[in-house]
Order: sequence, then structure tokens, then C-alpha cells
Amino acid sequence: MQTTIADSLPPQRALGKRLRKRFFRTPLDVVITVASVVVAAYVLIPLLDWTIFSAVWSAPEGDASVCHGVEGACWAVIEARWRLIIFGLFPYEEQWRSSIALVVLVVTAILSCVPAFWTVLRLSLLWIVGFAAFYLLMRGGIFGLSVIEPSEWGGLTLTVFFFAAGILIGMPMAICFAMMRRSTLPVISRTMAVIIDGVRSLPLVTILFTAALILPFVLPGWLQGDKIWRVVFGFALFFAAYQAEVIRSGIQAIPSGQDEAAKALGMGYFHRVTRITLPQAFRNALPTTINQFVITFKETSLIVIIGFFDVLASGNAAYGTGEWSFAYVEVYIFVALIYFVFVFSLSLYGAYLERRMRVGQH
Amino acid sequence: MKFFNLMTCAAMAAALCAPAAQAQNGDTLQSVKDRGKLNCTGHNGSYPGLAELDDQGNWKGFDVTLCKVFATAIFGTEEGHLDILPLSWAQRWPAVQSGDVDLVIKATGWTLGRDTEIGLQFSRPYMLGSVNYMTHADLGLQSPTELDGGTLCVEAGTTYERYAVAHAASMGYEVKMVPFEKTEEMKAAFMSGRCDAIIDWDLQLAVFRSQTAENPDDYAIVPGPVTAEPLGVAMRQGDDNWVDIANWVINTLIFAEERGITSENVDDMKADPPSPQIAKLLGETPGIGTVLGLEDDWAYNVIKRHGNYAEIWDANLGEDTVYKLDRGANALMRDGGINYSLVID
Repeated sequence: MQTTIADSLPPQRALGKRLRKRFFRTPLDVVITVASVVVAAYVLIPLLDWTIFSAVWSAPEGDASVCHGVEGACWAVIEARWRLIIFGLFPYEEQWRSSIALVVLVVTAILSCVPAFWTVLRLSLLWIVGFAAFYLLMRGGIFGLSVIEPSEWGGLTLTVFFFAAGILIGMPMAICFAMMRRSTLPVISRTMAVIIDGVRSLPLVTILFTAALILPFVLPGWLQGDKIWRVVFGFALFFAAYQAEVIRSGIQAIPSGQDEAAKALGMGYFHRVTRITLPQAFRNALPTTINQFVITFKETSLIVIIGFFDVLASGNAAYGTGEWSFAYVEVYIFVALIYFVFVFSLSLYGAYLERRMRVGQH
Repeated sequence: MKFFNLMTCAAMAAALCAPAAQAQNGDTLQSVKDRGKLNCTGHNGSYPGLAELDDQGNWKGFDVTLCKVFATAIFGTEEGHLDILPLSWAQRWPAVQSGDVDLVIKATGWTLGRDTEIGLQFSRPYMLGSVNYMTHADLGLQSPTELDGGTLCVEAGTTYERYAVAHAASMGYEVKMVPFEKTEEMKAAFMSGRCDAIIDWDLQLAVFRSQTAENPDDYAIVPGPVTAEPLGVAMRQGDDNWVDIANWVINTLIFAEERGITSENVDDMKADPPSPQIAKLLGETPGIGTVLGLEDDWAYNVIKRHGNYAEIWDANLGEDTVYKLDRGANALMRDGGINYSLVID
């Protein structure tokens, strides 16, 4: 049995050799390596010091004065105010309901990512059950739960709710929009084009503002509904306008021969769309769809301007008191981390889907 | 904030197209009583000292306490009878026009445009917001005009920006404006030395100095107000009874302070009123409720539960809080301020 030199060397020397080979091969390599390490240390050491070593982690009895004159971060603000950030204005004693509702929504979303649920029937059942449970928990009114109006919902729960509801209502709308946009009847396709372009050329803020404040002046009373649903609908409409174009781009990437072949085989419109066009369109449009999801998640923070306490507004309220007003950086970092966890999981899931469907390999 | 002003205009345009949003005399109180709840304004986020949230997500602050005072005046207690709706600045007017809120108590200044074009009605001011400059202490400014030739960090599109421009023009000095979108950005720029001064309401400056700044002594509020903004309770136009209630509820707090009625001694005062006016106010002599459409003991309930003006100030802005804000112009007239009571006859 032969042994190479590297095998017989003790592990430290092998490591040293690898390091030398990778980072210190030529004088230029040495310079670059040393410079990078110095720059990294210059940035990282103060950052680590601020975030960890000099930080204040806890304030006994929520007393903010422990942070005064401290060099590092004041994470005590999170300890004292995290319930406000996560649950917003939701009544304190009932916040368990909000937390279960949040878990229900997230679990429903995760389950609908599992391929075993990917039939129309299962997905719709899942989301109907998920949303019903969410709504019952949040609003209450039965099983002895006190009624909590949507104006008191808030925090992370509200953000996730807006995201989920916006996408769930928006996605079927987007599919309809895309199919109508591709209709061979000019009346339908032109009208749809005007609607899509019209919605896309308005800022989301104005759409939300109109939905929340101006619609009540023009709609008859029975059509108004609660403010939260008008806003969710406006949000979904905005998402649908963009997503419709994403889906259309996916459809246009499919060779037209496929549709014609399906026609020649005598398949009806509904079958051609659901069995031939849409599955491939979604596969083609997957990266852009995930992109759209990510953007939509971040856009939920705009609901603050119509008085909803989403997670960002709750963060704002968390440091918006005399005791904690110095700790806004810490609160914003905490909120940013929450956003990061959600958006990064979305991206990871998108990457998994792409691998699974082998998108991009042709 | 300019953008939101634009949107307020849009909302107002829509409101004007809709059937007249004028209230009829007495119908606000009636609808509040029918509903069993008073709808009052909160904040979308927080406004330190006026409308903020405690660790449990309950509203507190000076404006919020006034909301509680109004609910108490109408229902005898605010518990279960008050809904505080979080509203953004731009939402205030559409919300009050459409009847979503009965009162706007949200650091709202009384201006000509709001009073006339937007169709609001204001109560007597409940607070005078004094607007000052704050500079780096080593500059040692003694009056606003000494800022001549300096730079001023402002939040773009706010009334403060306009105040500074107007003051500089009328007093004949020059300041260079450096606009920012967010308060935090503006403050950070000021602290890093990007500009010589910031302008804000003295309450906000006090918060900034005591909490945000590492060394409060580095910064000094320049004596002498740039301007002062009277803050009032805004209501829909046309309901005189509702305006009367707002005025007399606010007046009760000031009157009580003037006459030394506090939440602690109000029971003794009621049992043995030292003057006919106090007897009338506390409902021992009947009449103060019926003329407004309220119960005769409404003022007693208010003082019993929330105290007089000084007590509310101390609990939310003054000595008992981190703000430690001086009463300043909001002191009683006898103490050198401008607060005075209307006459109870």
C-alpha cells in the first residue's frame, strides 16, 4: 500500500501547507491576504465589540438607565419591548392568541411548500383551514374569546397576515389577469393591458391610501367592509398586476407549437391552460416569482402610513418613548433580523425549488 | 412629508366631492353615546410624551390622557368606553371627516387652512408647543437670530422647516437648510456636526437631549422661541355642542388647577365646596351637566380619575417622567404662563 507524503504528515502541517498554497503562494498573495485580514479586523472587531462584548443584554425591571453611558449595543430594549414589536397593539393578556395565530400562518405556509400538498384541492383546503383558524384566534367572538377588532392587530403577526393574504388573493387574480391579457379577443386583452399598466404606474402607497381612506367616501356602506380587507385587496391588486406580467413572460417562453398540438388533440381551453401552459409557465417564471414574493414581503411595511402597526411600526413604537428613544439602532437591527429570517428562507426555498425542477438547465 | 401632504390633499378632494361631511348640532355626542365608545386618535408608531406605548402595548401620554378625560366626561369612566385608533398624520382629516374618530387629539396645531378649507373646528388650545433651536453648547447662542450664517438640519416638508424660514426672513438673518426625510437621520447628522442647529418643539428637544445624546451638556436649547404652535382638539365642523364639550372639558382641568382641586382632595371639595363655582363644577349645584348633554358629575369624575392639568402634565411630561419638561408657557397665568380658566358662572 502506497502512502503519499501529504497523508503521512501530521494534520497541522497538512493544514499549514494548504493555507500556504491558497493564501501565501506569491508575494502578491501575501500582500492581498494580509491586507484583507487587516481590513476585516478593522471592521469586525469594533462591530463585534459593539454587538456582543460591550453590549447590555438585560435591564432589570425594564429600567433603561442601565444602558446610559455604555459603549456597546443596548439589547435590553428588546428584552423590555419585544412583545410590543411582535404583537403590536394586541391586548397584552390575549397575546397568546396572536402568537398561536402567527404559528398557524407560518406552519400553513411551510406545509404548502411541501410537494405532497401540491394539488388545487389540498392547497385550498389547507389555506381555508389555516386562515379560518387564524381569523378565529385573532378576532375571537366565539368559544368565549373576546372580540379584538383588526385595528388592534399588529406586529409581526399583522405583517405575515398581510403578506399571506395579499399573495393568496393576488395569485389567482394574477393568473386571471395573465390569461385575459393573452386573450385573442382584443377587447379583453387591450382592457386588461390598460388595467395592468394602470395599476403598475401607481405607487403602492397611493393605492393603499385610497383603499383605506378614500373608498369609504365613494363606496356604499354595505360594500365597504373593514378597513383591513380593503387594504388587503388593494395590496393583492398591486401584487397581481406585477405577477400577471411575470406569469405572462413564463407563458411566452413556451413554444407555441405545444398549445397548437394540444388543440389538435382536441383538448379544451381549460385543460390546455391547467395541464400544458400554466405548469410550464410557473416553472419558467419561478426565479422572478420568488423575487416578487420577496419584494411583496418587504412592501408590507408600507401599511404603516394608514395606521396599521406592522412589525416596523411596532418597532418604531418600541423605541418611541422617552426611556428608550436612544436605542433605535438596536430596534431597527432586531426588526431587520426578523425580515432577514423570512426573506432568506424564501430565497432558500426558491433555490430548493429550482434544483428540484431543474429550472435553468435548459 | 411633502408626499403625505399631497395625499392629504387628495383625500380632502375626495372628501369634498362626497356628500357634505358637516356634523349637525349634537349628533356627535349622540352617536358616541349610542356606540357606547369614544373613538380617539393614537399614533402610527409613537410620539414621545404625547402618545406612546408602554411595555404591554397600552397607550399613554398627554394626548392619550386627554382622550381618556373625554371618555370619562361622557361615560363616567374611560374603561371599556374608549377606542384609540392608530392614525398617521395624513389620516387625521379623512378619519375625522368620515366619523372614524370623534376627536383628533394628536399634537395638532390650529391653523387657518385646517379651520376653514379642511372644514374642522378647534377647541381652545390645550397646550402651547414652543418651537426652539438647539445647538451645540460650545456655540453659546443666546437668541435665535445669532444663528445667522449657520446651517440648520430640518425634516423636509414639516411645519418646522417653514417656521425657521419665516423666522429667518422676518428677523433678517440667514440660515442654510439641510433637509432630511427621517427624524433619526436628522438627529444623527446634527450630532455628527453636519449642521449647527436643529429645530423642533421643546418637548422633542428635551427628549433628544436627555436620552439620545451621550452627553446632554453638549447641547443647549437656544432661549427664545422661534415660534409657538397652539395645539387644540380638532373636530368636525357644525357640531357646536361637541365644541362646547371640548372647550369645557379642557377648561375644567385648568380651572381645577387654578382652584387647587386635585384627584386627592376632590372628594373633600365636593363634600364641602369652598366657593359656589366649585360647587357648580363638581355637580353639587346642579346644571353643569345638563347644559352640555352630560351628567352633572362629569367634571368630578374627570378630576377624580385623572386629576387637574398639573397632575396630568407631571404624570406624562413633567417631573415624574424622563422628559422633565418645564411647564414654560403652559403654566398658569399667575405662574408666568398663559393658561387661564374661562369663567364658570
